[in-house]
Amino acid sequence: MRATEVRPTGVERTFGEDELIVTKTDPRGVITYTNDVFLRVSALTEEQAVGRPHSLIRHPDMPRAVFQLLWDTLGRRQEIFAYVLNLAVDGAHYWVFAHITPSFDRTGRLLGYHSNRRRPAAAAVQTVGSVYARMLDEERRRSRTPDAVAAGTAVLEQILGEHGRTYDELVWDITDGSAR
Amino acid sequence: MRSVPPAGTGPEDAIRLVTEVCERAANGDLEARVPALGDTAGAPELRVAVNGLLDHIDAFVRESGAASTAAAEGRFHRHFLTQGLDGAYRTAAEQITHANQVMSRTAAQFADAARARQALADELESAVLTASEQVATAATEMGRSANGLADFARSAVTDAERGLGTVSSLRTSSEEIRHAVDLINQVAAQTRLLALNATIEAARAGSAGRGFSVVASEVKNLANETSSSSEEIMNQVNTVQQSAADAIAVLEAVTNRIREMSDLVDGIAVAVDGGHRSGDGGLSRLAEVLRSEVSRFVTTIRQS
Repeated sequence: MRATEVRPTGVERTFGEDELIVTKTDPRGVITYTNDVFLRVSALTEEQAVGRPHSLIRHPDMPRAVFQLLWDTLGRRQEIFAYVLNLAVDGAHYWVFAHITPSFDRTGRLLGYHSNRRRPAAAAVQTVGSVYARMLDEERRRSRTPDAVAAGTAVLEQILGEHGRTYDELVWDITDGSAR
Repeated sequence: MRSVPPAGTGPEDAIRLVTEVCERAANGDLEARVPALGDTAGAPELRVAVNGLLDHIDAFVRESGAASTAAAEGRFHRHFLTQGLDGAYRTAAEQITHANQVMSRTAAQFADAARARQALADELESAVLTASEQVATAATEMGRSANGLADFARSAVTDAERGLGTVSSLRTSSEEIRHAVDLINQVAAQTRLLALNATIEAARAGSAGRGFSVVASEVKNLANETSSSSEEIMNQVNTVQQSAADAIAVLEAVTNRIREMSDLVDGIAVAVDGGHRSGDGGLSRLAEVLRSEVSRFVTTIRQS
């Protein structure tokens, strides 16, 4: 059961306003722990999820450049916030406001990554959706993956430049601006 | 952390597994989660409950650490995300958010104060630069004027001394005139005595001496006229001498005043240019010292 085999049905799934979707992965991104909310929303059993790469729930409409930024940031041992569209294995999709942090042991060695995901505001999803659509449009014109990532990154940087904000600041602007 | 339960997980194993995870979590290992506990009644629910508790503690710890770090680094846009946290977690999160907001305001005030300090430093520097330039220009002007005045005073003293010499020689000349007039007076008195003797001798000679008597009488008249002229000259000489004495007194007074003035002008020149004796330099040097001190001060202010 690979993510590429799942066809999006266009059905949107949501989860509770006060619920947290929690997963942990090893340093390579292989899932080591999920909470019950993750399994329910992704339509997975624990046996199907644990031991699989997190890209298991990657949605084809997510720009590759966002994941590139995500891994680059985590590679610098920094936290990152990102709006992510996920694909459940039953073809439904769900938006999350993800907060991913590296986990370290007492000596500072990387143990893996921890992701807390919250239900995003509809207004935030709309704003982010239009940004991702612009990125995706450019990425899909490139056949090679590195070219696609570079094109998507260029669009994102152009949008950030237009607003005079860093990625972090823009994400928080969207989050605070759509706070319920 | 594999979640597939080992075969034959019973209640004792479940209790042991949960205990281990709780002990790890209590020691700060928030990576610990309860693995599958088997199908014993209540075991799956216990697992979800304990892991949910750990997830919330984990989320709170990550949020508080990251939000506080962000605030300490001045990234105030990254605040505590309270969504998904309730009760005491949310209360504590709100307290941290409040503390961060206070830090943000303090940081903003500090930034404002720093900006104001920079502006003040700029103004001070510009004002001192202008003032020191003006002082330097004024000092140069004053130095030039003082030197001109000193030159003028010196030549005035020289002129006055020359005038004093002229008037003194006038007094000497009038003294010589007095001697000459005295001599003339003596000659006139002897002439008058001679004329008297000649008159007596002419009378004794009778009619033969009549003509001579007329001459003697004329001589006496000339002597008298000489005396009265000499007296007039003496009066004139006395007046000249008195005037010369007055002129000398006035010239001496003027010379003294000019000398005093010259000293004062020298004092100004020293104050402006800096004397040879004083090590602290003149007005221009002081202005330069002030400018460089203020420049050092302003540099320190800008760096702080």
